[in-house]
Formats: sequence, C-alpha cells, structure tokens
Amino acid sequence: MIRLKRMFTGMVIATTSLISINAAIASDYPPHTINMVAPAGAGGGWDLTIRTVAKTLKDTGLVESNMPVVNRPGGGGAVNLSYMQTQTGKGDLISVYSPPILLTNLTGLTQYSYKDTTPLARLITDYAAFVVPENSKYKTIKDVMDALKEDPKSVKIGGTSAAGSMDHIQFLLVAKAAGVENLRNIDYVSFQNGSLIAQALGGHVDLISTGLGDVAGLVQSGKLHALAQTADKRIGTGLIGEIPTVKEQGIDVIFENWRGLFGPKDMPEEAVAYWHDALQKMVATPEWKAALKRNGWDDAYQDEKAFTEFLGDTNTQYKTLIKSVFGR
Amino acid sequence: MDILNSLMDGFSVALQPYYLFLILVGGILGTVIGMLPGLGPATGVAILLPMTFSMGPTASLITMMGVYIGAMFGGSRSSILINTPGDGAALAATFDGYPMAMKGRAESALAISAIASLIGGTIAAILMTLMAEPVAGLAIKFGPAEYCLLMVAALSMTVSMSKGNMLKGFLSMCIGLAISTVGIDGQSGLQRFTFGVLELQTGIDFLVVIIGIYALGEVFKSFSTLGEGGKKAQTKFKKIWISKDDWKRSKWPILRSAPVGFIIGALPGAGGTMASLMCYNNEKQLSKNKEEFGHGAIEGLAAPESANNAASIGAMIPMLSLGVPGSGTTAVMMGALLMLGIQPGPLLFAQHPDTAWGLIASMFVANVILAVVNLPLAGVLVRLLAIPPKILYPIVLSLAFVGCFAISASVVDFYILIILGVAGVLMARVDIPTSPMILAAIVGGQMEQSFRQGYRISNQDLGVFMDSGIAQGLLAVTVLSVLLPLIKAIRSKTTTKPA
Repeated sequence: MIRLKRMFTGMVIATTSLISINAAIASDYPPHTINMVAPAGAGGGWDLTIRTVAKTLKDTGLVESNMPVVNRPGGGGAVNLSYMQTQTGKGDLISVYSPPILLTNLTGLTQYSYKDTTPLARLITDYAAFVVPENSKYKTIKDVMDALKEDPKSVKIGGTSAAGSMDHIQFLLVAKAAGVENLRNIDYVSFQNGSLIAQALGGHVDLISTGLGDVAGLVQSGKLHALAQTADKRIGTGLIGEIPTVKEQGIDVIFENWRGLFGPKDMPEEAVAYWHDALQKMVATPEWKAALKRNGWDDAYQDEKAFTEFLGDTNTQYKTLIKSVFGR
Repeated sequence: MDILNSLMDGFSVALQPYYLFLILVGGILGTVIGMLPGLGPATGVAILLPMTFSMGPTASLITMMGVYIGAMFGGSRSSILINTPGDGAALAATFDGYPMAMKGRAESALAISAIASLIGGTIAAILMTLMAEPVAGLAIKFGPAEYCLLMVAALSMTVSMSKGNMLKGFLSMCIGLAISTVGIDGQSGLQRFTFGVLELQTGIDFLVVIIGIYALGEVFKSFSTLGEGGKKAQTKFKKIWISKDDWKRSKWPILRSAPVGFIIGALPGAGGTMASLMCYNNEKQLSKNKEEFGHGAIEGLAAPESANNAASIGAMIPMLSLGVPGSGTTAVMMGALLMLGIQPGPLLFAQHPDTAWGLIASMFVANVILAVVNLPLAGVLVRLLAIPPKILYPIVLSLAFVGCFAISASVVDFYILIILGVAGVLMARVDIPTSPMILAAIVGGQMEQSFRQGYRISNQDLGVFMDSGIAQGLLAVTVLSVLLPLIKAIRSKTTTKPA
C-alpha cells in the first residue's frame, strides 16, 4: 500500500513537471487538483457551464490536472462567494458566476461582490427573452411598453428568480430604456418552483422574462411567441432568428446573461496567467465551439482585463436601476 | 394504432440486451442511492451524468431512467426499516411501513412496497403512453390559484386526519408553516427569519426536516430505553412475500392511487411527495380500518408506494411533451438531453422517435426489472433488523448526518437537524402529531407563494380562487375534508348519548 502511494505521488510529480516543461513555464502551477465549483446544485446553468468547461479542458488536453466539479449551493451563489473569502490567495479553485454575483451584492443579500474575487474570463452569454402565450394581445415589445406607460399594473410579468434578481432586473432595464416611469409599480411575479414556462403556456401570466436558451424549443414549436430578445444582433436560425432585438424596436439597451470564471481574491499571478492562456486557447478549439452550438450559447469571450472592466461598468448600470426601483 | 406501433418500436430498442443491462445496472445503483437519506433520484442522475455522455443519447437516457425508477423503489426501503425516508416521496412509507416492521412484519412491508411500486409504475407508464397529450394539457391549466388550492386541500386533509386532537394537529401544522417561511421571499426579494445566516437564505430544505424529525427523533427517543436493553432485535425472518389477505386489502388502494399519483406527478413542481401523501390520506378516509392507519395498516403503505412511482413517471410528461422540467430529476435529465443535442418538448416525438419511445418502453422494462431485483434484495436488507439497536442507531445517526450534508453541503443544516431531532422527541412526549408539520414544511412555501402570485396577477381580487372548475373542485375537497370528520364526530356523539 505504502509503495503504491509513493509510486502514485511519484507519478503525479512526474506528470506535473512534464506539463511545466511542455508549457515552458518553470513553476509549480497548475496543481494536481483544481476544484471547479458550481455555486448551485446539479442541473442548472452554472453547473452545466462549469462541467462543460472542465470536460473541454480535459478532452483537449489544455489542462491535465484533475478537475472535479464541486457543487456548493446556497444563497443564490452567496454561500460559495463567502467560502471563497477563506481561500484568498489560493489558485486551486475556479468558480463560475453570472449577473447574480453583482445583483446579490447590490440588493444587500451578501456583503461580498465581484471585487472580492479574481475575474478570469467571460466565456459565454445568453440573452433575455420576453415571451408571451400564443394568443396574446401583445404583438411587439412596444405594445407591452405602451400598455405599461398607460397603467403599470396592466401587464403581469413572470420570472423564475426572486424579485430584485435577474429575470426582474432584465425586464426593468428594458422598460426603463423604453421610457416607462413608475418602475416600482410594475407587478413582477416569481415562480420559483419550476413552473414558469407552464404558467406561460397556460396563459396565467401576461409575459415571462426569461433566458433565450430556456424557451428556444417552445418558440421553435410555435407554442410560445417571443416578442423580443436583448442581444445587439439577431441570434440563431429559424424562428429564433426571427425574434427581433429590443434595439430594432427603438429601445436602446442590451442585456447579456453572461457566464464567466472567477478565482479567489488575490489569486497568484502565475495562476492568472495560466488560466489566461488555457482559456484563450480553449475558446478557439472545435470542441468548445461544438459545445456552444449544442447548448445554444453565444461566444462572449473576454480576457481577465476586459472582463474586469466590463464588470465595473455593468455594476454601475445595475446599481442605478436598483436604487431607483427598490431604494436600496 | 399508431401509438401501439411506436411503442413496439420502443420495446425493440429497450429490450436489446445492451439496454437491458444498462437498466439493470442503473436500477441497482439507483436503489442504493435512493435508500441513502438525502441522496434522491436527482442527485443520483446528476452524479451519473458525465458517465453517460460517451454512450449516446438513447443509452444515456435509458440508464438515467433506470437510476430514476431504482431510486423510487429504494427510497422506501429505509423508510420501512429504519424510519428514515430516502427522499420526500418515501415519507409516507414511514407512516405505516415502519410500524409494520416494528410488529415483525417487515417482510410483508418490503414485499408490498415492491409490488405496489411495480403496479403503480406500470399503470402510469400505460397512462403515459395513451394520455401524455391530454394530461400535459391539464397540467398547464393549473395557474397560481389552482396550485394554492391544491396545497390547501392537501394540508387540510392531513390536519383533519391527524389522530386524536385536531387542535394539536393544527399546532403542528403551524410550526411547519413557520419553518417554510424561512429564506428569501420570491415575491418581494426580502429575507425572512434568516438572522444574517447566508445558508438560511435558500430556506430550510424539507428533507432536513424529515430526517431530523424521523431519523434523529427515533434515535433520541431510544435513549430513554437503551439502558434497559431497548427493544429486541428481530432474529427470525420469513419469506419476502405477502399473504392473500394482505393482497385483498391492498389491491384497490394500489389501483386507485396510481392514476391520482400520475396526475399530481405531472403538475410541474408538485411531485411524488405530494402525490403519496394525498393518496395516503385518501385511503385513510376510505378505509374501514381507519384506526389501524399509523399502526401498520398494509394499505397505508401500498397506496403511497403505488402513488409515488406513478408520480415519478407522470413527472416525465411536462418534460417530454412540453419541454418544461417538472421536478429536480427531470430538470437534470433535460439538461442531459440538451447536452446530447436533443431538444425536449413538443417536437421530441417527431424528431427523435427512437429516443422518445425507447425511453417510454424502458419505463415498463425498468419497473419489471426492479421489482424482480428488489424482492431478493429485500431478503438481504431485512436483516438490518437483526442488528441490535445499540449498533444500528449509531449507523442511522451517521447516515442522517451524511444525508443532510449531501443535500446542501452546509454545516448550518447540522444544527437545524439536531434541533429538529430534539423537537421530534418532545412532540412525541406531548402527543403532538408530526405529519402535519412535515407536510406544512413541504407545501407551505409553495402554498404561500402561489397565493400571492394569484392575488397579484388578479389585481388583489380573491375571486380568482373560485373562478375555474379545477379551483371549485379543489375547494370542495378542502371543505369536505374538514367537515366530514366533524359530522362523523357529532353523529357518533348523538348516537352514543341515548345508549
């Protein structure tokens, strides 16, 4: 047993040193094991993203360390965010996050923000989609906005996340850009039990604010009608490609549900450089491109510098909105 | 006969030796995962997900189906043997399953559980083949108002049925409702009763409540008797089978519960827990041997077992025909489908008939295989009861903590677990029933949320809760479930008075 263990350690040392030689970097990064964390349970968007990243990196041989996927759910990602504070300065933890990392902080659910992490790269993005039942009286997103200007209570907006989180905010961003006042008076209804799309199919809510990827199949089958999406250009093919952007309809705003990778705060420089390299190479591989296509994701790669800047801008944008709507 | 032909094509896929093997392996894995408290089918399928990627869509889905149905079979094993449900859907199996085991009838309990699961699952698979479309249509008719009334009906049934004092049942329910309010409130986005603890923002998982009250409660209760040797371990075991009389009593409850379970399972977000609890209450209401319920009535085990397997198959409907995952497990499966390049939803049957019908056929096959595997397996498992309590209980204790950790990976839940365990003992001491509390903890959150959803959508008009036919029907059930026991009580008083 002991001999086996020693052999194993030897092998590990041998492989890691081999990698360093291959990469022509004389350092001890990457470590043998890098924990890839989904700050939510299995099966959701974060989980899918981090698993796809880990699998692609492994399959393409870009990272040879073990990359077990760890699910650390709770508090809409806040539990993992506070765990990451105990890992400050370490390099063996990579976590995936999306706009909620900004929103949970801005609405006061957690004291930590993206500033308490090391942003590594933005990878992909989905967009918001505003969807109505087949026989809805609203034909365009302008119709909806006009109705809301008339009476903010006239259109009931459904979403999955809690009030003040993503599905709510993305709609309000568009409403604000369309010139709707009294944003606080718009009724937002949260369906957290997973019945949102069924509620739309049954016509129980007037409009649902959700992700383009979540409704793609139903829009394609014609059971739901998408009024608008929030990309800066049309996305996809077929009926999805026919969904107009809000910009086309004269509402000057885009909303991206990006997903990116983050390390703990003060991640060592060599680790940041290593991930800069690995991820930049990964997004160019055919394996990654196939995964994007399969999942209906849009490539949104930004390296750590551009991503950090993007986060700063977006944070300010959300901050203004949340302050005006919730007064927090 | 289009459906029949397609189904036959499906069988020609599912019955290939390779797929049979996958169902068998998946089923056994699922049974083991299902037995462990806290690890339910969702976790099981998620763990297996990466392994199935290289297999191709059909093989991958069929394996997941095996795990899923296996977990439904396995979930109730631990309910019966150690009073610790493997997951929410197996909760109702503790009510009469554990008392049966305590009375030395564990063999019959395990056997009826497998048989009821087989029959319930098969009936549901037949219904699924024939009626997937209309049931999906019914499921989307459920708006917030209907969801709310469904929860109210379920709660009022449990409270009015609770043994003895109705006031105590009501009190127990209130504790459960209080537990269900912890966390971030969806409609306002504000925190309630989180006391600044991050882990509490997502609320208290009802599985933690179940494990705390049942598993820990059971162990803590034994402390008072352990010194005197405690209860005797069982040493002799009979064959895993049921008697003719058992079958006669269980037959109708099994057949009745399957369609009910199937339909409740098809409602997104309702699921096996609700289905099995409602069917348990139905049977208690209908039974001639009401007083036996809770003390080891075999039909009280047969009904929920049939219902939860039927519900697990019903839960596939929203995913397959609407493209909407109706439960945690189907959400994971849907993610897997997407990763494999298949878009579930209305177009699935047209675009990938092999996969879709192969999956449906595999539900039939998996049910049969699991029943065949589970009967001999039960013969081994039942020997758990031969372990003396002083050894068994520490095992239960550690399983409870491991299971609790598996749910949310949070240490905070340990404290909650211990508090609930103590609460379980205290409630037993003063004779407060625990099932209203558990049910309230499960449905309370959704009941409140759907009430507020409906109220907000209708612009604060309560009429929405009486508008649709479904709503009126559910209201009638609620009123009846409260009134019937009352009327009976009054009648028995007036008839006994003159005597």
